[in-house]
Amino acid sequence: MSAVLDIAAPLDRLARLLAGRDGLAGVFADARRRLSMRLDEDALEDWGAGGLALLEVNAGPGCLLAYWCASLELAAHGGLGEMARQAAAICREAGGKAAAATLDAFVRIEPRLAGARERDIWWRALLTLARAAPDCVELVAERAEKLVRSGLVAAFADFIEAGLKAAGRDRAKRRAFFTLEDRLAQAMVARFSAGPGFAELEAELKTVLTALWGTMPNLQPLPFAGRETGPRVNIAGPVIRLPEVVPGIAGEASRRLYLAAAIHASAHLFFGNPRFPVRKFKPVQIALAGLVEDARIEALAMRRYPGLARLWAPYHDATPEDGPTVAALLRRVARGLFDPTYADPDALVGKAQALFASVGDLHDPALSLGIGTRLANDIGQRRLRFDARGHVAEPAYRDDGLGLWDFSDIDPEATDAVELMVEAARIERREAEDGREDEPSREPAGRARPRPAGGEGAVVATYPEWDAAAGVERPDWTTVREMMPVAGDARILQRALDRAAPVRARIARLVKAAKVGRAVRLKRQAEGHDLDIDAAIEAAIARHAGEVPDLRVFRSTALIQRDLAVLVLVDVSQSTREKLADGSSVLDVEKLAVAMLAEALDKLGDDFALLAFASNGRGDVRATLVKGFSETYDAEAAARLAGLSPGLSTRLGTALRHAGAVIAPVRSFRKLILVLTDGEPSDIDAAAGDLVADARRVVLQLRAQGVDTFGVTLDPAGVGSGPTIFGQANAMPVRRVEDLPMRLSELYFRLARR
Amino acid sequence: MLIDTNLAAYRIAAEPYYRPVGEEVAVFEAAWRHRLPVMLKGPTGCGKTRFVEYMAWRLGRPLITVAAHEDMTAADLAGRFLLTPEGTVWHDGPLTQAVRFGAICYLDEIVEARQDTTVVIHPLTDARRMLPLEKRNELVPAHADFQLVISYNPGYQSAVKDLKESTKQRFVAIDFDYPAPVLEAEIVMREAGADLALARTLVAIAACSRNLKGQGLDEGASTRMLIHAGRLAAGGVPLATAVNAGIVLPMTDDADVRRALGEAIAACLI
Repeated sequence: MSAVLDIAAPLDRLARLLAGRDGLAGVFADARRRLSMRLDEDALEDWGAGGLALLEVNAGPGCLLAYWCASLELAAHGGLGEMARQAAAICREAGGKAAAATLDAFVRIEPRLAGARERDIWWRALLTLARAAPDCVELVAERAEKLVRSGLVAAFADFIEAGLKAAGRDRAKRRAFFTLEDRLAQAMVARFSAGPGFAELEAELKTVLTALWGTMPNLQPLPFAGRETGPRVNIAGPVIRLPEVVPGIAGEASRRLYLAAAIHASAHLFFGNPRFPVRKFKPVQIALAGLVEDARIEALAMRRYPGLARLWAPYHDATPEDGPTVAALLRRVARGLFDPTYADPDALVGKAQALFASVGDLHDPALSLGIGTRLANDIGQRRLRFDARGHVAEPAYRDDGLGLWDFSDIDPEATDAVELMVEAARIERREAEDGREDEPSREPAGRARPRPAGGEGAVVATYPEWDAAAGVERPDWTTVREMMPVAGDARILQRALDRAAPVRARIARLVKAAKVGRAVRLKRQAEGHDLDIDAAIEAAIARHAGEVPDLRVFRSTALIQRDLAVLVLVDVSQSTREKLADGSSVLDVEKLAVAMLAEALDKLGDDFALLAFASNGRGDVRATLVKGFSETYDAEAAARLAGLSPGLSTRLGTALRHAGAVIAPVRSFRKLILVLTDGEPSDIDAAAGDLVADARRVVLQLRAQGVDTFGVTLDPAGVGSGPTIFGQANAMPVRRVEDLPMRLSELYFRLARR
Repeated sequence: MLIDTNLAAYRIAAEPYYRPVGEEVAVFEAAWRHRLPVMLKGPTGCGKTRFVEYMAWRLGRPLITVAAHEDMTAADLAGRFLLTPEGTVWHDGPLTQAVRFGAICYLDEIVEARQDTTVVIHPLTDARRMLPLEKRNELVPAHADFQLVISYNPGYQSAVKDLKESTKQRFVAIDFDYPAPVLEAEIVMREAGADLALARTLVAIAACSRNLKGQGLDEGASTRMLIHAGRLAAGGVPLATAVNAGIVLPMTDDADVRRALGEAIAACLI
């Protein structure tokens, strides 16, 4: 092939080879142009080389198109050329159609693969399949979502292998296996479609732990590290980090394991989580002290909640038959400490039980260190080898034990061995010890990546602006662009909501009180279901006295009807980036306030929209519609709310005009605009005073159109222009930012009452 | 019309069981000596009503209880003219009866009544101690033994339903809460006929549910609920079933909260 000998850069060669082929050339040029904006030169050449590789194996136009589509999707993740070379290898064995199918599948499951190693496992497994059973590659690719789970790509490889083995040379059987019609295949899929995982169980675990210990726990997911042994819970300061998924178990078993693990970890925190200095301790001492400490807090917990014994007992199943290793012995010690009635032939278990039973006060954490080191010495004297690197806390529900140790003053001599152990647990200590949430640096698995904000945004409207000095309204003076909302991590918002539970509960009560459909009793009605006794008596008296009685003597009920549309206008200008004492930004508090109000509105069934705004001069006032009137407030809307980011200035008047335009077509009896802003109107090309005057004018114009506008302004000094813009009665300056969520909702309920 | 000026029907014959948990008896008696109006605050089912009954018995006064509701009018409290064959006859309401003949008048869950209704108690609860009946054009001076007691559950407190400041500030308040675990176990034992172990388990369950107040539950399990569940269990219903029927199911309809609460309860059961 002449192309192989060609020494020109892959991209140009590819362009030349494709030049004559209708359709392909155009698509290629387009993809190249778009990728060139996002990739550097080397990556782009690598991408071209990938295309060549596919061309060389005669992959066909379908496969090339699939590659280019996949490239555009995955450009940010790199490794495009490698993807094509892997597909080309599959194409050699199974043909272009199969290769195209694997490329399509790869786009879908790529978010579940962590790093190059896992991607490699996926491709290698497919290549194995292509070699042994080329007809099944497409079948597997179509079912990729079912077969590949986050952190469980190795199970996918196992699945392929098991299928090939089970079916042997029987084509029909093979197809049945890979189309998941086979029973064995179904069982395998059911097993590694593990779950429920942390995401599904987080809410329940939180509620259970709150019920048991009286404080809301700080639970966070621990990303799956992809090691062979089961993942373990990690305690870092007040934060309990639970594995995202536990592979190999599913359904109720998974739920029980999470419960057992979460309650165990929270018992550590509740019954005092001492930080023993690591100093000179050997790994085996550390392991045993942790074991005794586990037993200590469990004994205390079971004293308080005897039913926990039932929860934990099934995991203590070690027996002398498990083998002679130290790890097996430690499991038996754990069982012996957990269950005093357990009798073990090994003297160490008996000794541990005796030492533990002789302790008077279990509330003293120092006993764990004391007993632990004595037991460790016994192990040392028996010359048993403790595998520090391979050590995993057992049973499965227990935490990795590292939360017990203070690593700040490690003795350099002992360091190596201890570090081995720490490394074995592969704890990522990037987490701040004070319990602050780490930034969501990685995207949650299985979810689409957020679209980048739509660059410039589409121009949707132009509005006039009031020039107070000249007394004229300048027509078409400002331009509003509608920005694409970016989906953020709704879970961060959810955690903030959880922390603010008391405020939420108060708002929920307001909701209940204001609930639509509550019946009110009407007195002195012309008709109704029973007599209004006071009116009836008055009528009778009037008749006796010879007067004309009022015949409206009935009582009836009517439902409270609400017919209300609300638009919440949120200021996301640069000033909302300001950090508060607790580390959150003003915008975070604004989001929390809006989220709470949105929840309340959603429950009430009031029609509402959420609109965020910022501006960059009169030609670029940016409006982000987080939730429109016709949309429901769901997880996606919450994610869009969470995705708001601060920046630019506050051209309030224009934002209000736009809000007025958004709410205008909505049919309702009463219309409200609630403005949430942290400061004065300002912009780069106008004086603040003019913008205040303009905003005031818009408020008056809106009122003339029947739209009431209210301002909730963050105004610590109480000197802001809120009252000037919205009017004294319609402005609510909030002195403390932290009060904002309650104030905003209170204001709403005050306004929305009939 | 025959009027029982002794209010015999409202007298409490036998001593109601009440286990004092703090100084509430002393405070109430001191307030009684000066006939100061008393406000009992506290969550539902923690013993407010039982306490009033006990104090009425202890002080030997009749007790007239009115459960407030949102349709209650001032006439429902003060009285109204009714038609009889003889003509229109004035009929005293419960409050007027208590005022005339010297009873303790207990307005239960006063916030449920509309605010315009509650103002009728204002002249009774300051130095005037009188009840004006404008329909009859009569001023009823309070009997020397008349005392007003209201109960008020701060759990319902909100911007929508709350007492007026002018009403609140007329009362001496006694704050009630669920008793300490040991006392509560004693109460459950006594009232439900349960043994100590059962009572302790129920109290532990209640503590779990109270931890969930505001986190899925509006209010934790009350002492009254424990007594109900205790009676079921002491009567032979399996404990898990009794707890489910007596505590979990009445409190919440949310399946997730039920499940989580069920796990916490399982941890409490031996």
